[in-house]
Amino acid sequence: MAWRRFRKNKSALIGAAIVGFFVFISVYGVFFAPYPPRSFYCLFNGCANLPPFTNWAHPLGTETSGIDVFSEILHGALGDLYVGVAATAISVAIGLLIGALAGYKGGPAGALLLGTTQIFFVLPVLVIILLFARIGQLLVAQGLGLTLIVVILGIFGWPTIAFVTRGEILRIKELEFVQAARSLGASNTRILFRHILLNVLSPLIVLSSLLVAGNILTEVVISFLGFGDPNTSTWGLLIEEGFSYVRTSWWVALFPGLAVVFAVLGFNLLGDGLADALNPRIRE
Amino acid sequence: MGSLGNYVIRRILFAIPVIIAVSVITFLITNAAGNPLQIVKLGTKSMTASQLASLEAYFHLNQPIYIRYFLWLNDFIHGNLGVSLYSGSVSARIVPWIGTTLELQIPALFLALLIGVPIGIYSARHQYSKGDYAITSAAIFGISMPTFWIGIMLIIVFSYYLHWLPAFGAISAYPPYWWGSTFTDAIAHAILPLSVLTFVSIATITRLTRVNMLEVLRQDYILAARASGLSDRTVIYKHALKNAITPVLTIVGLSFGTLLAGAPALETTFSWPGLGFAFVNAATSLDLPTVLGITMIITLMVLAANIITDLAYAFLDPRVRIT
Amino acid sequence: MGELLRVEDLRTYFYTEAGVVKAVDGVSFTVNEGEPLGLVGESGSGKTVTVLSAMGIVARPGRIVTGKIFFRGQELTHNSESEMRKIRGKKIGYVSQDPNSSLDPLFTIGNQLVEVIRTHFQVSKDEGWERGIKLLKLVEIPEAETRMRSFPHELSGGMRQRIAIARALAGEPELLVADEPTTNLDVTIQAQVLELLKTLGKDLQMSLVLITHDMGLIAEMTERVIVLYAGKVAEEATTRQVFQTPKHPYTSALLASVPRLDRKATLVPIGGGIPNLITPPSGCRFNPRCAYAKQICVDQVPPLEDIGDRRTVACHRWKELDLRRSA
Repeated sequence: MAWRRFRKNKSALIGAAIVGFFVFISVYGVFFAPYPPRSFYCLFNGCANLPPFTNWAHPLGTETSGIDVFSEILHGALGDLYVGVAATAISVAIGLLIGALAGYKGGPAGALLLGTTQIFFVLPVLVIILLFARIGQLLVAQGLGLTLIVVILGIFGWPTIAFVTRGEILRIKELEFVQAARSLGASNTRILFRHILLNVLSPLIVLSSLLVAGNILTEVVISFLGFGDPNTSTWGLLIEEGFSYVRTSWWVALFPGLAVVFAVLGFNLLGDGLADALNPRIRE
Repeated sequence: MGSLGNYVIRRILFAIPVIIAVSVITFLITNAAGNPLQIVKLGTKSMTASQLASLEAYFHLNQPIYIRYFLWLNDFIHGNLGVSLYSGSVSARIVPWIGTTLELQIPALFLALLIGVPIGIYSARHQYSKGDYAITSAAIFGISMPTFWIGIMLIIVFSYYLHWLPAFGAISAYPPYWWGSTFTDAIAHAILPLSVLTFVSIATITRLTRVNMLEVLRQDYILAARASGLSDRTVIYKHALKNAITPVLTIVGLSFGTLLAGAPALETTFSWPGLGFAFVNAATSLDLPTVLGITMIITLMVLAANIITDLAYAFLDPRVRIT
Repeated sequence: MGELLRVEDLRTYFYTEAGVVKAVDGVSFTVNEGEPLGLVGESGSGKTVTVLSAMGIVARPGRIVTGKIFFRGQELTHNSESEMRKIRGKKIGYVSQDPNSSLDPLFTIGNQLVEVIRTHFQVSKDEGWERGIKLLKLVEIPEAETRMRSFPHELSGGMRQRIAIARALAGEPELLVADEPTTNLDVTIQAQVLELLKTLGKDLQMSLVLITHDMGLIAEMTERVIVLYAGKVAEEATTRQVFQTPKHPYTSALLASVPRLDRKATLVPIGGGIPNLITPPSGCRFNPRCAYAKQICVDQVPPLEDIGDRRTVACHRWKELDLRRSA
């Protein structure tokens, strides 16, 4: 039923296509990439600092440091996909749990959880994330860099999920038929459970897609500012390298940015499209 | 409006646990390695004796961690934000930083509301039209782009390629000044970062206004208002807009926090000497007192923005005052 | 009896992403002065859309495709927006279904009443306020002066419905359309609101059109009935005729589903659901749910026939069927 609406929604389909493409590139791109990640190949082979579209071996140009832009974008895709999806998964896991508890149990525990959620809403999240990332950078072993970011983003992403989960559960609890079902007998709790779950999942799926988009953007900011993992390829890192040499090699900042826009756009379109498809419309 | 007064007090009371939460979080993270000096040492190879002394005093290192926190919090409340590793008193430098950041944020917000809300209204009223599709497409592109990256692109085009505008800083340190005077010089420097910020905010605000407007236009009271013979202008700009704008205001208030926080990357791109840029520099060089000070101040600013928005919301929507 | 509102062959379609919804597909009727009219049908039968079309406030993506609308003989169909605004609220008043959402939650009652009053009459704010108070008293709201400063959420559903009626009366219309005026109210309040509508009709010399799916209301409030099904007229007659000798199977089905306290009768719900208005059933739209359907009902759309005695029916088999209820 909602599936049909989804299929008819153009932007949702485009979003899904982009996301599919992005996932494909991320996972298999590492095999297509001409060079290993962070490889300074061109520094030693006379092809450093090449502008784009001048040489088919380096279609998007190279950095002054010898890194090939196209290759790095492919590697970076995996990094950003990992951060985006894994962080979202953590946020959803935490948020679902907390939101469900707050919504179902209510009472003082519920109020406490709600209060905690609300506090997170008012925090300057990005600044705190940056702080955590920077200090974490220093304390955590090399190579765990991206995972650190994943954990940090996951921990700061749960409030919205928890809030929406709680809201949905509260709303469904109030629906007349739920109360009626309950009065008919406890054996119906399974039906209740299924229905509650289904209703909660809809907005959560939408939120998840949008959250992945947001997490990718946040990761790009973190890496751009140098608080990420300097040893793993991410698009933010690339943009930063492009920015340092922006006068002479502007393409190093341009193309990774386009990749970010493309990927994030995909998840945003998908999220919007899902929101449209899953939203019960008023019948004319 | 007694209920409004109560509401205000409740909101302000809510601010206290938030401040405590932030202070605890930031304090803990900087003490994560046990001794914050360890962290600082990673950022600077050698410290003078006076630097060492001031840091020890700031962090109250001669006390166990619990007491350290309260002493530090106490200092903060009394306005003592410590001494930066490199640039003197933190509290002295924070005020100009705030001013410089707000120079960008506040005009951007106003412009974005001024432009974004009417566009959102238009889009909602002409749903499914070509204009609507164009606007929603542009908006979704707008929110998918990293703000600072747009800045970089603009710098490439308008600064390096066309030489029309300056790329870095808020002002030129020495003559020649752009376009004649120091005043026009400041304006010239502000144009690019302001444009970026405004554009991204317009995208968000347009989307929000449109969504809320669509929802409101479906409501029964809009139909009833039309059926009573009220003019289109009254229906849209009195009833629909007021109902649609209240959630937009909440989001704007909340997003003031994100705007402010989005400042680090944007300000760094333009070397704009505001809070964000100062934060990034301080975090990079591990100048902890400055970092902590800025974090707390930004939190307070976000809180203030939230309380103001909540008040505005309660003022506009009488149903809220009861909660 | 003067003719107030006349609708001729109205078709209003909604052009949605899912397809073209033919909400009103060839409806004609007349409302006469002093003859309360009922528009009956299930939800989705096109009752509300018909009236909204007459008032010119069909929302996008809906559009009047064809048809003519007359008020007191003057054609409204090609009116400009500003001309229509002189009709809305001033000639024809409309009270919508849900009292909980028909008042703007952000403005006081007084504000909302006065804005309508001042739209239709050139009066000062104070004069408008006074008139507002009078309106509230007219709909029997206690403590009218204080109530003017209340917000909708501070009042009960029953009061909100009365205030909605007051607002509809603010322009002193000649015709009042009450759209499901009691559906969202408690049973005890329902009776009060209906009484109010009757009294108002008499006192203000205002004619009433009642939109409902409840045949009980029809019996109590109206003298003439139009039964709508899936955007088309099923039958039109006086209320008495419809109750005693219904000619359309849908009408008799509606009657059979009305609970009665005076005698034992089985409640017979109408099987099936409202048809899909994008792809309605072929022929008579009621045929999938009709107990008496024959092949011709699937093949041909039944024409709306004038069967004398100021009655019309759209059923192929009206002559053969005896749909009188068992006594």
